[in-house]
Amino acid sequence: MKLAIGVFFLPVLLLADQTGTSLGTSAVVARGDKLFAQGCAVGYCHGSAGTAARSPRLRGRTFEKDYLVKVIRDGIPNTAMPAWGDRLTDDDIVALVAYIQSLATATPEGPAPSEIASLAPPVAVKDSDLSPDVRRGRELFYDPQRLQRCSNCHRVQGIGTPVGPDLAKLSRAQLAAEAVNALKYGRPRRVQGIVTKDGDRFPAILIERGPSETRIYDLKAIPPVQRNLPTTEIQSIQQPSGWRHSQAVQSYATDGVYTYNSY
Amino acid sequence: MTRLIHLLLFIGAALVAQDGSTKGNWPQYGGQNSAWRYSALDQVDASNVGQLAAAWVFQTGDNDGGLQSTPLVIDGVMYVSTSHNRVFALDAVTGKRLWSYIYELPKTFTTFYGPWNRGVAISEGRLIMGTLDNYVVALDAKTGRQLWKVNVEDANQCGCNITAAPLIVRGKVIVGVTGGDSAHRGYLNAFDLKTGRHLWRFWTIPGPGEKGHETWHGDSWKFGGGATWMTGSFDASLGLVYWAVGNPAADFYGGNRKGDNLYTDSIVALDVETGKLKWHFQQVPHDVWDWDAAYEIVLVDLPRKVLINVSKGGYTYVLDRTNGEFITAWPVAKNINWIKGVGPKGELLGRNEPVVGKPKLICPSIGGGRSWNHGAWSPKAGLFFTTGIEWCEEVTAQAEIPSEGKTFFGGTFKLVPTPDKKSGGHLGAYEPLTGKVVWKYEYKYPLLASVLATAGNLIFTGDAEGDFFALDARSGKKLWSFNTGSGHRGSSISYAVNGRQYIATPSGWGSAVAGLMQQFWPETEQFPNGSAVFVFALPEQKR
Ligand code: HEC
Repeated sequence: MKLAIGVFFLPVLLLADQTGTSLGTSAVVARGDKLFAQGCAVGYCHGSAGTAARSPRLRGRTFEKDYLVKVIRDGIPNTAMPAWGDRLTDDDIVALVAYIQSLATATPEGPAPSEIASLAPPVAVKDSDLSPDVRRGRELFYDPQRLQRCSNCHRVQGIGTPVGPDLAKLSRAQLAAEAVNALKYGRPRRVQGIVTKDGDRFPAILIERGPSETRIYDLKAIPPVQRNLPTTEIQSIQQPSGWRHSQAVQSYATDGVYTYNSY
Repeated sequence: MTRLIHLLLFIGAALVAQDGSTKGNWPQYGGQNSAWRYSALDQVDASNVGQLAAAWVFQTGDNDGGLQSTPLVIDGVMYVSTSHNRVFALDAVTGKRLWSYIYELPKTFTTFYGPWNRGVAISEGRLIMGTLDNYVVALDAKTGRQLWKVNVEDANQCGCNITAAPLIVRGKVIVGVTGGDSAHRGYLNAFDLKTGRHLWRFWTIPGPGEKGHETWHGDSWKFGGGATWMTGSFDASLGLVYWAVGNPAADFYGGNRKGDNLYTDSIVALDVETGKLKWHFQQVPHDVWDWDAAYEIVLVDLPRKVLINVSKGGYTYVLDRTNGEFITAWPVAKNINWIKGVGPKGELLGRNEPVVGKPKLICPSIGGGRSWNHGAWSPKAGLFFTTGIEWCEEVTAQAEIPSEGKTFFGGTFKLVPTPDKKSGGHLGAYEPLTGKVVWKYEYKYPLLASVLATAGNLIFTGDAEGDFFALDARSGKKLWSFNTGSGHRGSSISYAVNGRQYIATPSGWGSAVAGLMQQFWPETEQFPNGSAVFVFALPEQKR
């Protein structure tokens, strides 16, 4: 929420800035230069001092300030330009805008890259003030080192595949009760056993059963596979499926599960 | 009697020798699983190529990122994938669209590695494609109907995705991942062709307890890159899948990943059934230049069973593919200063590393002594044909803190002229075991399209200004050229339907390296994007 409010007020801040003197000052531009070198000039992005790479040249071009703020903050959907709103402070964005605007009069053959000998953490990663338990739970939930990570089957905060129930919809109490039950002991209620005409048997979640095509999540392997089977190829769909949540998450120790709970 | 023995020996050799040539069909990304990009068709040859004329053109309608793929042709149907994971099935004789598939990408979606797609794979009537949001999808090759899709890993989390063509062998879809310039741990996955179920994963960076883990300092293995961003090869007689593993992350700064950083910048040979490592060869231990070993792996019998792999650092490696033994390495670019050379065991001599906070001249540039666009092997000429690039950069390394899925370069760079002021590109014909240059075709810009070799003694490729052209494989002399109106960044193929040979090429300027060129050749910013397939053949009466 704090962040959202900050982002909301950013254009206002910038306007205030314009009337004052600070936006174009060399200190702000220098700060933007440094940020740019660390976050925007890298690799195949905008090139050293905005000289272009895979992403457009910024040097020698004029941009509206509001446009720059919006693009830096929100990114450009369906392109390689990410949103930086969660990684940069408002001051950072102000500095970057100032720096990019300072490039407007630069020629393509500009000065050598700026000195950036910094060993200090560059663009600091913002971590909200989560308790250690919650943070650990979150790490486990999305743990990229495990094929069995929870997010392979549950989507939370926009990350993951929505095979299993939407956990965000459960209340804290429900979650507490459900999690242990589902993870350790429970008999699944939504998972069905499918037998196809060619004799394949597997647990699945039914997405949609149409006259010609049946869409399912095949849970035999992780990650689950979304399959579109011709309805005529299906022999039967019934419970029980033999699927156990505890097996799907066996790489997690129980304490992990409890920790997740607090997340 | 000796003749009979010779004949038997010949047949025996022919049975086991890798035949990577294509004929009527162009069934796989690299032609066949041995990645020769060589067509045994010889209707079009050095004597008549001058009469080659356009048969049809197909416009895909999506110019973003150009057209970087390799079309496939199976039984008279061409399959071509474009940026944003669109697939078109075309009548290979007329160009008429048979079906199209538009992959549904999430509405708001950004990816650092994209939007291009470099090809699909087809086997047993199933067409497989990796997607920009890191799914693998299977379509019915007859109708374009979606059969299954599976999310390899959430793209928003890992910052990674799939742009390369998968490799299908023995009912398994083997597919790599990008993410080598991000804080990500690379891998290679195999899925069941029929059901999409996951079969195995090979982590390109060994985890705790695994051999090779000790080559990573601290937690650096979790963010160490090692992408598998191009397509590998397969030797059926050995049951081995070969894949080239990309650079370690951060690219230019290695201070917090001390050690050799296995298996980045390595060729790995994996058991096709299990994904278990059979052998590996690391080209660049502890890379700090972004020298992926990512490109094609060409399997050739000389008669020793070797593999040929051009690395981004500008050296071509020749290894024994049965055991990974180093045979030789030779340069494809003149301007290489990050090492003095490669020793007799494959060791790097005289490393010249970037430093923190101070620009340093490194040649070639990050775009590579060659880019990913593939070379070709002609068994007829006994030569390997590959492009090479002359350019340098000033790299300034910097320490960066990894943040999962976010870019992790460890520095910046700026393209600068080569010391001899002769930046540009070339296409050369090389003897594979000596690296001897038989001929060289020079060009003022980098050549960024793949090479096609044919039994008609022809070499085809395209350039940045839109020319698609044929060279004589024996002399390098230009025999024919046609301007398609947009630069070339894809891979041309040859196929035949009803006895008529066709040469097909994607046309469409774009990509990361094409973008980089603007730093050094500002006029290339004006080069138009495009996305079309051009198909050529001899006039009907001429054949
Ligand atoms: C292979 C897929 C898969 C994985 C991995 C997985 N889940 Fe589930 N989860 C499911 C399915 C399917 C259900 C619904 C089971 C049923 O009721 O049929 C479920 C149910 C649940 C429920 C109960 C929700 C409710 O409304 O009843 C919780 C809580 C839960 N999972 C948490 C987790 C956690 C935490 C992890 C990681 C440790 C995890 N899951 C990993 C598939 C998975």
